[in-house]
Amino acid sequence: MNTTHYTSDIFEILSKGQFICSNSSDAFIRKLYGIIDEAQTFDSLYDYFYNINFILEKGNEYYLFTRKEPKVSLERKIEAAYKWIDIVDFFKTYNNSFVSGFKFTISEIDAQLSTNSDLKSKLEGLKKYTQKNSSHVAIISKIIDLLIKDNFIELQDDISNTYKVLASFNYLEELISTIHIPEEIADEIPE
Amino acid sequence: MQTFGNIKELIGSLKREEKLLSEMFSKRKTLNYTYDLALELVDFDETKIQHLIDKSVIRKNGNYLEIDEVYLQFFEQVLAVNEEINISYINDNIQAIKENIQYFFYASNERDKYKYLKFIKKTFRNIGAITLRNVVDLRRNIENTFKNEPNYKNKQSKLENLDKKRRAIIALVKQTELLIYQEELTFFKTAVDEELSSIIVGLKQELDESTHNLIAIEKQVINYLNQIKYQSGFLKKLRKIKYLKDQFTLRASTDIDAVLNSKNTLVFEPNPSYPVKLSLDQLVNDLEVFESIQKVATKVQTKKTFKPLLAEAIATDYLNTEIEEEILINLKEVISNFLSTGNNLFDFIMQYDFVKEVPFEERVTIYCQMISEYETELNIGQEHQSYKNIEYTMVYPK
Repeated sequence: MNTTHYTSDIFEILSKGQFICSNSSDAFIRKLYGIIDEAQTFDSLYDYFYNINFILEKGNEYYLFTRKEPKVSLERKIEAAYKWIDIVDFFKTYNNSFVSGFKFTISEIDAQLSTNSDLKSKLEGLKKYTQKNSSHVAIISKIIDLLIKDNFIELQDDISNTYKVLASFNYLEELISTIHIPEEIADEIPE
Repeated sequence: MQTFGNIKELIGSLKREEKLLSEMFSKRKTLNYTYDLALELVDFDETKIQHLIDKSVIRKNGNYLEIDEVYLQFFEQVLAVNEEINISYINDNIQAIKENIQYFFYASNERDKYKYLKFIKKTFRNIGAITLRNVVDLRRNIENTFKNEPNYKNKQSKLENLDKKRRAIIALVKQTELLIYQEELTFFKTAVDEELSSIIVGLKQELDESTHNLIAIEKQVINYLNQIKYQSGFLKKLRKIKYLKDQFTLRASTDIDAVLNSKNTLVFEPNPSYPVKLSLDQLVNDLEVFESIQKVATKVQTKKTFKPLLAEAIATDYLNTEIEEEILINLKEVISNFLSTGNNLFDFIMQYDFVKEVPFEERVTIYCQMISEYETELNIGQEHQSYKNIEYTMVYPK
């Protein structure tokens, strides 16, 4: 057996820069995760995609594609990473346990804004990624849309408007963790 | 302080105010259960509440009511919803067993021995049940703390404390096992009692179960603590990186460029699109495609309506009626006139008084027309005559 019936589905998702997460609410995505997760299928899929210049990589509870050669400029990557640092910082300020599997609603965040001025100022700082002069709720939902587009969170329940953090959020945490701060600089940063 | 005279009175009182007490119990976590709320539940009979206060079942604190600690603990323990894990209780029990074993040996008569034995049996049974209950409570508390405690520092120290309790329970289990397996072997050999042996067998099973559970709990706690440690480590890192980013020194002071250079993840790329040409065969033959085409067509349709091209207005000159009069010769009338005469046709036409002036040539034409038109009514003879260079046939009416 070379590949599975689902090779095209897997390609379709991953080639768009999306993730296949183990904790997705979509049963089909979970099924795909299960299929890739079998060692034998993983090996054959890895070889298959390698031939068309995509590297199938396993992360902490998610799968994603990387390339052999960079296709985008460093500037663009920096821009994206800066945006993510701001967004992750905002959500971690909202709740320390904003990790994979965490569930939240926009109104919960909005409710905390009135009592947490730190959170509020950070939200103001996020305005640069959204339209200027929009309301708090509008900024939050815009930021959430950005994360949904990049497949880091999903709308789990459209009746109660509950969002869920996907395992792919681990990728952002890992990315930030891998940045090394030299000790002498770390010491200068105020607590 | 007034207390109840006997069990019957106690249970009776509790039963009477069952509604109020169960409501207050369910709201024991919210600290403000007001007097007015309670009044509604006892049909606005203040004496009922006063009675419970007098018997110290509930306590009044300003305008608030709460169930007395003794009763609250009793309810929680019996209903197995207590949050506090009380280890000292087991410890006391072990001490009590040791003491009673001693009394058992020194007791001189069977009746006393039986009394001590009964106490020991009861206590052993208790130890098993309490240990198991504690283990269950511990597990639930650990999970609750990890999932619900919002404050990171508190979460960590609460979990560490619960972990300490876990170790204490393990120590107690060991101590109990020691008591059964090693320390008091003589007692178990001497006091041959069927019930005691079955209790001990049960206790051993319960202790085994507890030990297994405790091992699982240990794993869980270590896992949770590691997660917290990782998370709090991550949070510190995030704050630092965010600080450097806001100071615009992130690229200069860290290796972010190198990190990002090494990552060629597709997430960084804009969403690609793969334009594929449509198959012409499919476009022509597939019904579904046809539906799509129709849909697209309705969307593409422009709102503009095309005006038909109009010709220019007709000039008024053309519309003026011009009358041209032409006098036509009525051949029918000529023939009917001719038929009533005896003259020949040529002469008749030459002399005929037409409504207009008719020249000679035209009269000849009329002559010919008459012959061809009314051939059947004329008698065309064989004789010829000539007139002005024209030779003509003599024609008479029939």
